Amino acid sequence: MPEEPEVVQVTDCDGVKLVRVMTASILREDEVESFGQGLLALAEVPGRRVVLSFLGVQHLTSLVLGKLIHVHKRLAESGGELRLADIDPHIFEVFAITHLDRLFRIYEREDEAIASFAGKAEA
Amino acid sequence: VPPRSPDTDSAYPWIEKVLPTRLEAIRDAEGDVMDRLERLGYDEDHQFAIRLAFEEALVNAMKHGNGMDPSRKVTLAYRVSPECIQIHVRDEGTGFDPCCVPDPTTDENLQRPCGRGIMLMRSYMDTVRYDCRGKEVQMVKFRRPDVGGATP
Repeated sequence: MPEEPEVVQVTDCDGVKLVRVMTASILREDEVESFGQGLLALAEVPGRRVVLSFLGVQHLTSLVLGKLIHVHKRLAESGGELRLADIDPHIFEVFAITHLDRLFRIYEREDEAIASFAGKAEA
Repeated sequence: VPPRSPDTDSAYPWIEKVLPTRLEAIRDAEGDVMDRLERLGYDEDHQFAIRLAFEEALVNAMKHGNGMDPSRKVTLAYRVSPECIQIHVRDEGTGFDPCCVPDPTTDENLQRPCGRGIMLMRSYMDTVRYDCRGKEVQMVKFRRPDVGGATP
């Protein structure tokens, strides 16, 4: 059986962990779990700064929002922070409806989100 | 919840499916819905809204209704016409009172990981009704030339 591709891909960019979502839609149970686990693994290091780029993501459900909130809390507990970028207008509307645009710092592009961490050294 | 109207228009029939309690089954089911919307010329905003509400209703039925119990099923019925889409989703759980779901947008609930599905369904569909036991949700979205997305 072929191995499923990773839902998220993590790279290091100027001391910031840049996470790109590799699928246009996150719905299947294994996708949601892989998405959550991939992000939660980053919170194991204290003070980690993470940018999550939604470039190419056209659809998500509240399950994904739940995972994002979980990761946000875990990172915050360890002195880190999650910032979001490249959110499609339709998906941004989902964040706005649920008021999660108040909880997350959202940037238009991933490079802006990475630059926003400048001066905040990783713990 | 009133019964579905008699199927008098064979061009746009009610489609009924029984789904296993697996999130993977949602994607399979939504393919046919999205194809019908596309064929009838529903625009991108309508398609996004309907797909989101469709997925949220089925996720709720499987996760919260059936508790992801693989021995339980979800019954899905939908009808897509040029004027509107009607979607009914029934689970085999114990039911719930939708009025008791806390508002996820308040400051005290903003960091709760659950509770946004119903809110999104209500935002994106024109009507969302539950039967008296909260085991079936019925949703309608009308096609409008000017408004497709969420209703503020």
